[in-house]
Amino acid sequence: MKKIIQAFLLDTLTGLYLAITLHRVLWFKVVRSADAPVFEWWQVGPYAVIGLVFAALVTAAGMSPGRRVVTGERASGFRASFIEHIGWILIVSTFVTGWVVSRVNVLDLFSQQRLDAAGRLFRDLLNPDFGNTQLLSDTVTSIVETLYIAFMATALALPISFVLAFLSARNVMSQNALTRGVYTVLRVVTNFTRSIEPLVWAVIFTVWVKVGPFPGMLALCVHTIASLAKQYSEQIEEVDRGPLEAIEATGARPLQVLWFAVVPQVFIPFLSFTIYRWDINVRMATIIGLVGGGGIGSMLIQYQMLADWRSVGMIVLVIAVVVWIMDYVSARIRESLR
Amino acid sequence: MSALLEIDGLTKTYANGTRALKGIDVRIDEGEFLAVIGLSGSGKSTFLRCLNMLVEPSSGSIRFRGHEVTSLRGQELREYRRGIGMIFQHFNLVKRRTVLENVLAGCLSTTSTVGSITGRFSEQDREQALANLEIVGIREKADLRADALSGGQQQRVAIARSLMQKPALLLADEPVASLDPATSHSVMKYLEYMNKELGTTVVCNLHFLSLVREYSTRVIALRDGQVVFEGKPEQITEQWFKEIYGEDAVEVEIR
Repeated sequence: MKKIIQAFLLDTLTGLYLAITLHRVLWFKVVRSADAPVFEWWQVGPYAVIGLVFAALVTAAGMSPGRRVVTGERASGFRASFIEHIGWILIVSTFVTGWVVSRVNVLDLFSQQRLDAAGRLFRDLLNPDFGNTQLLSDTVTSIVETLYIAFMATALALPISFVLAFLSARNVMSQNALTRGVYTVLRVVTNFTRSIEPLVWAVIFTVWVKVGPFPGMLALCVHTIASLAKQYSEQIEEVDRGPLEAIEATGARPLQVLWFAVVPQVFIPFLSFTIYRWDINVRMATIIGLVGGGGIGSMLIQYQMLADWRSVGMIVLVIAVVVWIMDYVSARIRESLR
Repeated sequence: MSALLEIDGLTKTYANGTRALKGIDVRIDEGEFLAVIGLSGSGKSTFLRCLNMLVEPSSGSIRFRGHEVTSLRGQELREYRRGIGMIFQHFNLVKRRTVLENVLAGCLSTTSTVGSITGRFSEQDREQALANLEIVGIREKADLRADALSGGQQQRVAIARSLMQKPALLLADEPVASLDPATSHSVMKYLEYMNKELGTTVVCNLHFLSLVREYSTRVIALRDGQVVFEGKPEQITEQWFKEIYGEDAVEVEIR
């Protein structure tokens, strides 16, 4: 019964989606190449009715795409080919809608005027300014600052994530209602925190503690805590239960069970995740300066605003080299940790 | 003989509805070597884990030297477990730690939490751990990582770990099921040693009847969560064998 309802809902949504995209995009934009009338919420009504009719028809005819998805049962003959066609129509209409929504315009990309502008930009970018020693030493100072920002964010996040990971691992927290409550709350909080990009956190912290490396570091740190806590806790959830049982059977206290049976199993993966996170943080730290988070990103945005593309080219090159080295080094370290 | 464990009406129903034990009444005397036999899924493992409360029984009572066990919680439960050693089919050592550290895990309950986490075990405990490794014949492996050892050696480390607890009772859950025949006997000999020389009561889940006949003093057989046979090993006749393992079963020997 539950599956039938799920399948019917899915069919209704499919019908509604097809009605909206086919009507507003294909009919108005592509066929009549005019703007569709301004969307108003009451219009959902008629579209939904079409969706319901669609769902009712395909269900009655025994060729419901929703049922195919929910139950995994294959239809046969013309019914199967109908469902397959619905699938293709969904993909094509989504592609066309995407094309229209993103306002893809080949003319903008390849017109003579635009190509000339791009040409000037690339000529300067690809001819980085190494002659300016002041600029070079500023860049090196900034990239070093960036590396330390990334390191600090990772280092400060590590102990916090470590503790949070145990508190948000299902197998550790399944004892009673209280621990399960803590688990759920922490999962929601860390998932929410992680879904907000560091760039957004940086904007928040630049208002909070003023522009500079500190808010950039805080932004990375918050994101890192949430990310590492999740990766760590998944690792904890996958530990072998055997040693836990054995240590518990000796009469050890809960903290001892964690330390002797769980920690040895997760230590190496934790280290690997942490190093990888530092690597990611270096990359992110180069961006965070764009919104006032300090480091090399701040320099980059300054020269970009001056349209000094030769200096920008130099800074981008330095970023690329450092990120590439970090990537290589962290991969090698992680390999040796098996 | 005085009773070490008196088990009455023991049942266990798991959260998913599986009824693993359906009312077990067994008395285990001090100094026995009790073998528990039965098919996989007959409730042997659950039964063993109820005895040290790794699995909490749904109903029934377990008395250890006259004291009710099933109501124990927290510190009292840990003190109860301290007196009971346990070894497993898959050894359950902490693979990345050294052999010595694995043996020392047997005295965690008598070491402070901070002390154990910072690795400060008493000199006495260290000597005891090495002495126990000596007993099982692998003292020279003390500083190797546990996963560098063969299966039989790992099980001996687990036995040394349980020796740290100076247990009145040893629970052995299919201790030789992942070992080859020759190694099986060497491991069983150490259980026999604990039973005969140290007076440890042993409750051991076993698959091979030849091992049951050679090492145990008494047998219970479980089928579908109930005791279907109780007696001396030599009393398991062809007819009982079919009763326990089903009509189509054929006995396989391990020599």
